[in-house]
Amino acid sequence: MAASFRALSRKVVRQVRRNVTFGFRNRVRTAGFNPELSACRFCSGGAAGKSTHFGFETVSEGEKAERVYKVFESVAQKYDVMNDAMSLGIHRLWKDALLHVMNPQPGLRLLDVAGGTGDISFRFLEYSRSVRDRQLRHRARANQTPSWQQISSSYSSEEAEPVDSWAVVCDINKEMLKVGRERAEKAGITKGLSWVVGDAEELPFDDDTFDVYSIAFGIRNVTHIEQALQEALRVLKPGGRFLCLEFSKVSNPVLSRLYDAYSFQMIPVLGEVIAGDWKSYQYLVESIRKFPDQETFKDMIEDAGFFRVHYTNLTGGVVAIHSGFKL
Amino acid sequence: MAALIRSLRAVRSLRGLGSAVVGQTCPTPHYNGLRRGFHRAALLRLADNPKSDSTVPPPSHHEHYQAQESGGTSSSSSAGQASASDPGTQHEDPQPNTSYQDQSGEQSEDYETEEQLQARILTAALEFVPQHGWTVDAIAAGAETLGLSAASAGMFDNGAGDLVLHFVGQCNAELADILAEQHNEVQLGQAEKKKTAEFLKDAVETRLRMLIPYIDTWPQAMSILLLPHNIPESLKHLSTLVDDIWYYAGDRSTDLNWYTRRATLTGIYNTTELVMVQDSSPDFEDTWTFLDNRIKDVVNMANAAKQLKSTGEAVAQGLLGAAVTLKNITGMNQRR
Repeated sequence: MAASFRALSRKVVRQVRRNVTFGFRNRVRTAGFNPELSACRFCSGGAAGKSTHFGFETVSEGEKAERVYKVFESVAQKYDVMNDAMSLGIHRLWKDALLHVMNPQPGLRLLDVAGGTGDISFRFLEYSRSVRDRQLRHRARANQTPSWQQISSSYSSEEAEPVDSWAVVCDINKEMLKVGRERAEKAGITKGLSWVVGDAEELPFDDDTFDVYSIAFGIRNVTHIEQALQEALRVLKPGGRFLCLEFSKVSNPVLSRLYDAYSFQMIPVLGEVIAGDWKSYQYLVESIRKFPDQETFKDMIEDAGFFRVHYTNLTGGVVAIHSGFKL
Repeated sequence: MAALIRSLRAVRSLRGLGSAVVGQTCPTPHYNGLRRGFHRAALLRLADNPKSDSTVPPPSHHEHYQAQESGGTSSSSSAGQASASDPGTQHEDPQPNTSYQDQSGEQSEDYETEEQLQARILTAALEFVPQHGWTVDAIAAGAETLGLSAASAGMFDNGAGDLVLHFVGQCNAELADILAEQHNEVQLGQAEKKKTAEFLKDAVETRLRMLIPYIDTWPQAMSILLLPHNIPESLKHLSTLVDDIWYYAGDRSTDLNWYTRRATLTGIYNTTELVMVQDSSPDFEDTWTFLDNRIKDVVNMANAAKQLKSTGEAVAQGLLGAAVTLKNITGMNQRR
């Protein structure tokens, strides 16, 4: 099983042209790191063997990317089931809350980074459609008894068709995108959606392209968070909005105890039982603990150059929505 | 609060407005600082539509300038930090988070704080209010005209509430401008001083006429203003408005009158606004008649109260005299 995984992932990796030798066998920390990788990536220090964290372990940066890739490759099929099981379905509420904060007007372009199975994008399209329907209804009601001036003006000026909303799901992991595509087909969503394989640190898009950049439960898996934020700033239009939904720090001591107990005792077990994968879910829990808390992350977003950064805690801080604007 | 405003008024009038407030002491340094802070706050909040305080006639412009000078960097920093620190050190130690706010004392042409940008977006959004109503849609449309993404409408946490409050604030500032100008003309002897009743009527009418372009959607705005989370702000705007009108009407009262005057004017303004929303007569004639009548009522009532007071005093004095006489007659007043 493990061997086949390795073979499969190797194949995929070759396709993505990541010129990396595998370093995670036997957890050799520094072995097999290719300097070319760090050259193509943003690397502040430029040090090839710069270490970072993978859960509670310390690994080299290249290795982290690989291992994250592998984690999500292995959980892709069971990703949605596991989300429901682990969060007791609350993750849907969190994502709804994100959309509520986003409150997209019709005609916006969304970049859903680490969008994987498309949860945010589907919600976005649906939300935009409902907003547009409401606007059209409103307009229709206002024009129920038009005066002759209104009629004549409506003849003279053909109102421009509102632009459709567009969502681009961008994920580094092909397996996740595959699952997302299947889901989209099943749900019958075809319009206004595209799927792109891309790294959050080097987005394959032009500058000033998107109105909203969202990253839900993804940024903690990125090796260089600062670089990802820079890229977000780059692809956003002026006035565009950065939104991040991510696990954060629970401040309430009682809730924090419960949450810790639940996540360390229950989630790996659930992972083993449902998805047959203890390690990936162990990583999930650990990576959440390693992610900076609300204030620190807010500072990071501000440092990247966003304005009006603020955050909202959900469920007592288990999850936080960070929002910022490019001005 | 009232005392604070009153003291501010006193200081301002002393500053050479020429109004005859006598017997006040000089403004203490404390007041100076206070006023400066006030100016600065006004500068920040309503940079592109100067508010009541920055509209004080010429003498104050000097003050204004001073405030800016002394405030230097901080006059444009939203957080009000870095107060009076010299620009040089700011250059050497730029704070990454404050971005383009307080890099140095001098300001470039396209220099703009977040608040200014927000005010600009909201002003642009007003154009779309007749079409979209007081909604986030209008803000988004306004932002697009400025070349910003429609997503920037999310910047306004309060959404439609921010838009309405911005509009109210803008109208109040505009009215304060107009009143200040009239006041100036009177000072310079170019215009004749109006009677208080007439002045009040004109002021309220001017203010209400600003709503005409949005009259179809104004009921919606009124309901937004009355939402619980908007009430503190909208009350503040209302009190500013009433205060400005009374100030330029020449009210310098420091007793209970201060409150009753403001209360009555608030009542008049709000009821007239309600009448206006319902009014379908050409050029809102009914509304202005209504307003006129209400103001007359108040004037009549004030006269009645005055008469009552003097009558009461006369009666009281008469009674007192009778009592003394009675005492004298009965001999109780005799000193032995």
